Amino acid sequence: MAKKKSPILKIFILFILIETALVFVSNGFNKELQVGFDEGKFVFRNIQSHYDLQDRITEEFQIDEHYRQTGETPVIYGSNKTYEFFKNIFGKVSAIGTFQLLRMLLIVDIMLLFLAFLIKKKLLKRPSQPQILFEMIYSTLEQFVIETLGKDKVNFTPYIVTLFLFIWVSNMVGMIPIPGFMEPTRNLNVPLGLGVFVVAIVHITAFKVKGAWGHLQNYLNPVKNPLFLLDIIGELSKVVSISFRLFGNVLGGAIIILVVSSLVSYVVFPVGLNLFFGMFVGTIQAFVFTMLALTYIGVEISE
Amino acid sequence: MDNITLAQGIVKAAALLGAGMCMGMGALGPGIGEGFVAGKACEGIARSPENASLITRTMLVGQAVSESTGIYSLVIALLLIFST
Amino acid sequence: MELSVEYIRIAAYLGAGISVGLGAITTGIGSGIIAGEGAYGVMKQPQANDQLFRTMLIGQAAAQTAGIFALVISMLLIYGGFDIAEGGWYRAAALLSAGLAMGIGALGPSLGAGYSGGEACKSVARMPKHGNAIMGNMLIGQALSQTSAIFALVVSLLLLYSVPNQPAGLAIGKILLKSISLIGAGMVIGIGTIGPGAGIGYVAGKANDMIGRFPKERSMIMRTMFLGAAVSESTAIYSLVVAFLLIFAV
Repeated sequence: MAKKKSPILKIFILFILIETALVFVSNGFNKELQVGFDEGKFVFRNIQSHYDLQDRITEEFQIDEHYRQTGETPVIYGSNKTYEFFKNIFGKVSAIGTFQLLRMLLIVDIMLLFLAFLIKKKLLKRPSQPQILFEMIYSTLEQFVIETLGKDKVNFTPYIVTLFLFIWVSNMVGMIPIPGFMEPTRNLNVPLGLGVFVVAIVHITAFKVKGAWGHLQNYLNPVKNPLFLLDIIGELSKVVSISFRLFGNVLGGAIIILVVSSLVSYVVFPVGLNLFFGMFVGTIQAFVFTMLALTYIGVEISE
Repeated sequence: MDNITLAQGIVKAAALLGAGMCMGMGALGPGIGEGFVAGKACEGIARSPENASLITRTMLVGQAVSESTGIYSLVIALLLIFST
Repeated sequence: MELSVEYIRIAAYLGAGISVGLGAITTGIGSGIIAGEGAYGVMKQPQANDQLFRTMLIGQAAAQTAGIFALVISMLLIYGGFDIAEGGWYRAAALLSAGLAMGIGALGPSLGAGYSGGEACKSVARMPKHGNAIMGNMLIGQALSQTSAIFALVVSLLLLYSVPNQPAGLAIGKILLKSISLIGAGMVIGIGTIGPGAGIGYVAGKANDMIGRFPKERSMIMRTMFLGAAVSESTAIYSLVVAFLLIFAV
């Protein structure tokens, strides 16, 4: 009997094939790599020169600033009408970064809703492959919640699972090689918002469990806690570390992919790098973010 | 800020280099120390898995305390960048 | 200040040398640790030779990632074509700083990955039955400890590609300030990743050791490893924040 290929392997191979084809079609042949001698020196770089790359990195980082300085009209992939509508609301050109971010957030939300409806429609006794995956995610995270917070706090599970799924899908959506697609988590505002929310939820839970004064005296009572000022700074640094960890990893991946692809003419490496940064790093960072949120809550309510 | 004298420039430059050195070296110790905590926690959890949540909590609190010197460095670096 | 293109070349070549020279130190030490433990393991368990050999080779390859990053940066510094006179002192400082960042930044992660791989070899020699689980965990742990090296690589690439040319007619104080702040950015991410890299390597090594001894607790150990490594990384992230501020906000 021939050994059956596992479906994960099939998906993997299919992904690599499709991604390679798309990368080839989208930018494979319109960049020229120069390997050889230029004015007596060995060089390897794109003929369009690395200042092209420099522009693109500025665009990644400070997109509004880029268009304000150069005065070009922004390239909007897809419909220009929605952007015009958006610009009329906010009234300036510099809103393009926000526009792109909001569009990507909308796409991620629609993907999540679509997945939810798709799986809900076909809930089976003998579950299908995607249903197994999502049930596994849910039950594993539920187990973690019970272990960390106790049986009576199991109602935190939906929040934790939503956090994980949102960050996971956001980190992976940048792998789709469509122009203008980017990870929403690459914009600092998204991780920062999530981080602020996590710390806020930690303190609201602590208020509920320990009472207002019981919680606040950790930070305001110099007799009980002589280093209370540093604790306040420590709470703020929680926000910084949890959000910049996600942001730095995703942005780092994006910049490395950009530079390496432009060096090797967008041919070979980007697929593997996309797999590493999108799937591996993206999954690990989503997991770490959720687990940190969970343990912050656990540490605060268990004292 | 574009029209500053040489002396002002040197002072500010020293502050910025100091900020870099401060955060860089300040990150050295906490990094190794927190890694040690987490390594020992892995060992402890493997040896007595029934106390896992207790060990995890101790690990996180211990790491938060060891990280405080890193946070001092961050505060000093931000002060050097923005308030000199 | 007068500037000829030679100054930029001096900075680039110095940076290239520093990058690969410093980066090679602990890469060598780390791979050596892994090979030593592998050879010792073969002595203890000659029948697990194949498995040990595989673990050793893969571990060494992963431990050399940071060294390869340093090599890439120094090749870019030499052959990337950055030596044009319009760059000015900004460009010279940025090139030197890129070399410093990647060179110093490779020190910690390779040492950590080396320790992790060494413990993995020891563990495989003790328990050849669980060799695959140990090797999987070793790879994940090494990838975690190379995250700080990736931060150093990102700052280094940003210094190479995103620093603008020096505008004409600036006051000398301003030029000095910006150049020194770029060098500071390289130093902060370089030195700041040593500690986290080595620390995460220690976590991963302990986890490998314990997975070999108590394979039943594997998921719990891996979870603790992820969590501990993520928290140890936070000082590297503070360094990344300060480096971004020094590059973009000054």
